[in-house]
Amino acid sequence: MRGMKAIMALACCLITAWAMSGCATSVTEPARKARLQVIPDKVVIGPQLLKEPVKFSGSGFGSKEMVVVEMVVPPEVEMKGVKKGEDVGLAYGTCDEAGNFEAAMAPTATLNWFFRTEWSPTLAPDLKQAKPLPPARYEIRATGLDSGAVGQAYLEVVSAPSPAPKK
Amino acid sequence: MRKGGRKWIWAAATISLWVLTAMLPLGQAQEKYVTYLSLADYTGPIAGLNVPADMGVEDFFKDLNDRGGVEGVKVKFTGVDTRYDVARGVSAYKRYRTEHKLVLANAISTGIGKAVAPLTGRDKVVQLVPGDGEFQAKPGRVFTWGTCYQDAYAATMDWIMEDWKAKGKSGSPKVGYLQWDNPYGREPLRGGKEYMEKLGMSLLPPEFFPPGTLDHSVWLNRLASQNPDYIVIGGVDPTPTNVLRDAHKMGLTKRIQFVDATFWGPDETVGIKAHPEATEGAVICVYYLRGKEAREHPLAKRIWQKYRARPLEEMGSTYSTGMIWGLDLEAALKIALRQVGYDKLDGEAVFQAYMKLAGSDHRQGLAGNCTYGPDSRRGSDMVKFYRVQGAKLVPITGWRKAPDAVSLHKF
Repeated sequence: MRGMKAIMALACCLITAWAMSGCATSVTEPARKARLQVIPDKVVIGPQLLKEPVKFSGSGFGSKEMVVVEMVVPPEVEMKGVKKGEDVGLAYGTCDEAGNFEAAMAPTATLNWFFRTEWSPTLAPDLKQAKPLPPARYEIRATGLDSGAVGQAYLEVVSAPSPAPKK
Repeated sequence: MRKGGRKWIWAAATISLWVLTAMLPLGQAQEKYVTYLSLADYTGPIAGLNVPADMGVEDFFKDLNDRGGVEGVKVKFTGVDTRYDVARGVSAYKRYRTEHKLVLANAISTGIGKAVAPLTGRDKVVQLVPGDGEFQAKPGRVFTWGTCYQDAYAATMDWIMEDWKAKGKSGSPKVGYLQWDNPYGREPLRGGKEYMEKLGMSLLPPEFFPPGTLDHSVWLNRLASQNPDYIVIGGVDPTPTNVLRDAHKMGLTKRIQFVDATFWGPDETVGIKAHPEATEGAVICVYYLRGKEAREHPLAKRIWQKYRARPLEEMGSTYSTGMIWGLDLEAALKIALRQVGYDKLDGEAVFQAYMKLAGSDHRQGLAGNCTYGPDSRRGSDMVKFYRVQGAKLVPITGWRKAPDAVSLHKF
């Protein structure tokens, strides 16, 4: 009888251990660290960003890997078309052999996510209704879409300097 | 066995069972479904085209699910507003690529389609794109919605030659081209230009303008000074309508025949409604039903009335185009489920099924035909022509085969 008890107990333990080991595969591994730089890392939201867009460069990703750069949208910031809790894509690029990448924001990205513009029926941005991003320090993340490597940096949005007082 | 020992064994067995149940993947415990991802534009520059199209496919899936799905497997529609931005499209795909049984991603723009293609290829997910011939020239997992842009352009050249001869003219007409300055605007000429050479037709230097242009008279003036007989236009309505509005103001619509060769031209609910005089007489080449034919199609009409409960006149043309995406997926799921069953159903099985859709009549006449096959990523090789008459889109041809202009271009 004691032997039977021991066999049953061992079987239960084995089942539990097997189930737990199967589950272990779904536990997320910590993301590999990569490097990200935002250029420039301090901006005023204005028309100059359409001529000279914000750029990103990074390293430590996989060879020839696609990387997407996203902004973590703070809960208090409304972003049209983006659900609460979703990050918003700013740019994307493909790494070289060594896992380095460079990417610049396209005009649509600058208009949609920095100017937060509306679009007119003629497909032109309606800047009269734009709500530029409020001044703050925004977290930017670059993620390798194969390796899962993540680079982190910050972009500071600052207010435009007030015009010099008239003499 | 003693009472205490038995209790101990039962307790251990119960805990084991609980652990096992908790470890079951979520999908197995819930209803059977697959995920359809739309990388869409609901509030950006081409929302006017995409909103009715996604309303159509979403309503179609609601109806399909209400009918029990495909052999009990339902379709979950996930729409993401990319605002026509490529980086947002890539980021959205990254977010949703691990959704339960994601089998298809539909990209609203050429740019998003091209950027996401390597990812859907790696994930073995079927991808849809508007009409870029490059995906037909280099077959992978990306399928075009309908006829490729260059094939439709070639069919437009055939129609122009017929129209020219029907007017009793000899030789070949002078043709101008005015389109958006982006990959979509240039795509029709990648093979279309070669087709013109084959026909002995010549093209005036093409003109391109930035999307969002308010006044097109600069480009129209430049083309008009070369005395074209026909001008091929494009863009998503209201752009083609605005080109016609400017041409009408300049008196050009009286002496030049304007033809929209890439499907998204003046619609009764958008441009034609706003500018009936300017759009009158314009011709449109499409791969799907337009106007009254689309609104009165039995499937489109039934589903519109069931889920929208608005007057039929308010149905945009692309509402029924969205249903073509739904009908294709329904037909592919039937094949895939027969082949592999639900447990093994994945993007690969659905991809294999898409390649078996050629010749099937599952589109119920909403498009001319379906040509997805082992060597074909084209959604269709048929087009139809409509003319704006009395502020309505009136068919002037039946379905006709579009020439293969993709094969004439080196990609």
